[in-house]
Amino acid sequence: MRATIATALLGTAAVLTAGCDMTVTGVGGAPSEAARGDGAGTVPVAAYPERVLWGDTHLHTDNSIDAFGFGVRLGPEQALRFARGEKVTATTGMPAQLERPLDFLVIADHSDGLGATRRLYDAPRLLIRDATLRRWHDMMHESPRQSQRAMAELITAASNGTLPPAMRDPEAQAEATEEIWGRHLDTIDRFNQPGKFTALAGFEYTLQPDGNTLHRVVIFRDGSARTRQVRPYPGIGGRIDGLWDYMAAYEQRTGGRVLAIPHNSNLSNGLMFELTMPGGGPMTADYARKRARWEPVVEATQIKGDSEAHKFLSPNDEFASFGVAGWELGNLPLTRRSTPDMFGGSYVREALKRGLTIEARTGVNPYRFGLIGATDSHTALATGDEDNFFGKHTGNEPQARRAASPQNLGTAQGRFGWNYLAGGYAGVWARANTRAEIFDALMRREVYATTGPRMTLRMFGGFDFAQGDFDGQGWVAAGYRRGVPMGGELADGGKAPVFMVEALKDPQGANLDRVQMVKGWIDAAGVAREKVYDLAWSDPAKRRMAGGKVPAVGDTVDRARASYTNTIGARQLRALWRDPDYRPGQNAFYYVRVMEIPTPRWILFDALRFKIKLPPAALAEAVAQERAYSSPIWLVSKAAPAT
Amino acid sequence: MSDPPRSSSAQRGSALKKVLREPLVHFLLAGAAIFAVLGWRGEPGDPASRTIHLTREDQARLSVNFAQVMGRPPTQAELDAVIARWVREEVLYREALRLGLDDGDAVVRKRLAQKMDLIAASAADTEQPSDEALQKWLESHPERFAQEMKLTFDQLYFTSRGRAVVAQTLLGGGADWTRVGDPVSLPARFDQAERSAVEAEMGGEFARALERLQPGPEWQGPVESALGWHLVRLSRREPGTLPPLAAIRQRVEDDWRAETGRLRQDAAYRTLRRAYTVTIDR
Repeated sequence: MRATIATALLGTAAVLTAGCDMTVTGVGGAPSEAARGDGAGTVPVAAYPERVLWGDTHLHTDNSIDAFGFGVRLGPEQALRFARGEKVTATTGMPAQLERPLDFLVIADHSDGLGATRRLYDAPRLLIRDATLRRWHDMMHESPRQSQRAMAELITAASNGTLPPAMRDPEAQAEATEEIWGRHLDTIDRFNQPGKFTALAGFEYTLQPDGNTLHRVVIFRDGSARTRQVRPYPGIGGRIDGLWDYMAAYEQRTGGRVLAIPHNSNLSNGLMFELTMPGGGPMTADYARKRARWEPVVEATQIKGDSEAHKFLSPNDEFASFGVAGWELGNLPLTRRSTPDMFGGSYVREALKRGLTIEARTGVNPYRFGLIGATDSHTALATGDEDNFFGKHTGNEPQARRAASPQNLGTAQGRFGWNYLAGGYAGVWARANTRAEIFDALMRREVYATTGPRMTLRMFGGFDFAQGDFDGQGWVAAGYRRGVPMGGELADGGKAPVFMVEALKDPQGANLDRVQMVKGWIDAAGVAREKVYDLAWSDPAKRRMAGGKVPAVGDTVDRARASYTNTIGARQLRALWRDPDYRPGQNAFYYVRVMEIPTPRWILFDALRFKIKLPPAALAEAVAQERAYSSPIWLVSKAAPAT
Repeated sequence: MSDPPRSSSAQRGSALKKVLREPLVHFLLAGAAIFAVLGWRGEPGDPASRTIHLTREDQARLSVNFAQVMGRPPTQAELDAVIARWVREEVLYREALRLGLDDGDAVVRKRLAQKMDLIAASAADTEQPSDEALQKWLESHPERFAQEMKLTFDQLYFTSRGRAVVAQTLLGGGADWTRVGDPVSLPARFDQAERSAVEAEMGGEFARALERLQPGPEWQGPVESALGWHLVRLSRREPGTLPPLAAIRQRVEDDWRAETGRLRQDAAYRTLRRAYTVTIDR
């Protein structure tokens, strides 16, 4: 009963707030018809993708329950302005601008408790009956630090299922959610400019049993006429099939399209990519089919760590375990520690292998997914560059202490500011910059992940490519004509697959060290295996392969100045590669990893800017080789591919 | 402070006069006066009354609010529910004022301050700017509305300057251009590409070089980019232009509205602020 009163009052506060905000954001007329739809028919569409589009599929603003509590006061409008290249003022007062604009943005605020912390913050104290809510209200008003503590408690409570009823009850949140969602859709329509800058509708589904992240970003293909017919679907306390049912119902009811992108598998304690059904028992073909149907892409890298590969699982991969420091210790709030037996379900490469294993048993591969990077920034600022890192959330926007201070989302210890990566981006091979074309590229997995730099990566798989195909202009067209691009499937016809691969450096960034092929397959004994091949590397005359290894590229980073030089590495790396270990009938996947030369991480820029001394553990991780991961191409021996 | 005092105070005087002529400012000052009087009387205003009268206009406003959120007008049942909620809120609101619950409440304080800001900006919400005003706005903010320079060209890629120079000689001798470049995944043809797109793909140096070349049928260069060396055949360069107002009226109006609102908030605040003496202990 008390909870109901609190809810009603929070709701009232929401309506009041909403009324005011509407006047502010409601300024300006209606967006054009073209901006409100999915973009089809508004701009010319190329025969095949010619230019990679850069964007962030995972950004939080002040509508997110935790982001607001962490202090952010920038909303979707500022987020969109920033992403398209304008200068904005960050919450903590600093001017913020991207060196290069993005081509698209998905604002993915948590569906659970959308706008709830703002309502709590704004609610009259006297009327908050719930003791926990009142305490959080007081902490939020007391100081930024206390507000961040309150959020750490809130995240732990959400993980343990002990959120105050007023925040948990979806019915109670429904009205406020609907209002915020409607306003949000209007805002993104105003910024959506087909051909120039695309704003897609989406939200984050925050399922986290016991604090193990099973989070997904949900993205819609459609304009507001369709997306307005639904509300963001809440995650806490639910089951993943509930989300898929919601997605199916959306498509059926509106004729639209929707997809989901799992992320932070590294914090799932092995639950993101299980070999079994959730909760145990052999995975059914039906479950595997649904998973593959709704989740075509996985976010492999972001601020809260990189999930590509772990040394425990890939001991022969010298570049594995990138961005795992701190994150590998346990789940999101660190309420449960990780043990190595959990890693298999937490890292992407192993998941791709598990997909083959499950496919061998059920005939369906649940984990046939492509890869992207994102920021998951909670500052409304989609920053991915090391020299322009605005922090995971407003509590660690640029300031002298952020690199060394503990950054525990929960109450346990073990993670520090320097564990954060600067954030990744998604490279999307779309035929035009519209909602429909970007969505379709994600669906066909013609996308890749980077840890921030914007290197161009092309990959085609086929059976009859030859070195001569590179000659002249237009080998890319041949790639499309006679093969499949990244994300595609090849039917095994008894011949070794051949791949055409090229990486171009980020025009404003560092040179490239090497291009690698990561292969996973099921061997004759039915065991899932993996191998990393070096395809091309800089200075091959000097860097001779020895014992199957290419010597390290070197390191030009000046630690004191946070600088590097492009005196090593290559601007372009290209290879034609035929799988030397091909065996007919063995299902396999192939994805490309591009390595940059070593460059300073954001903590070195911080050290220079704030004249601080980094702790030894941070100094050891102050230089990194940033990278890109392509979506895989699968070699499928069955006559009928599963997806 | 090298200005003659007279001229600067005269300027300030005329600015003040201009501000004082604004109906908006009258509104604000009247509002401030009412607050002051109510505060002095120590009694809530209307709350004394226990009559709630919801006019047709009030109902229409609630209906419009609903439609703005839901994208459709409410049904009668929905409107009844909205009205019931509104009445409930009004009763609680008046009783809260009667109890003086607004006193010393940080949230109420902030909300009322926000409201003042909103009132200041609200005129810009409904005002219909004239074509002349928008044309002036468009011209005074070209960086926001100008279309970018567009470049139409073919490019051949080379891994070194030397290779590009040799190829240029071959092209001069009539070689087939599609056979002389080094392999690369970049498109050979860029058709009306925006300058920023060219820069994103090849780097700023290359985009700047293309601004300097003369359009023509011959292969020019070598030009260095972030990725290597290029020979370029620039067929067209369309300068960045300001589109006519008619083509982008909505965008200009949106921008005008958003910024005018902000400017008016600032102006209104400055006017009110002048009446206050603020001392801050250090």
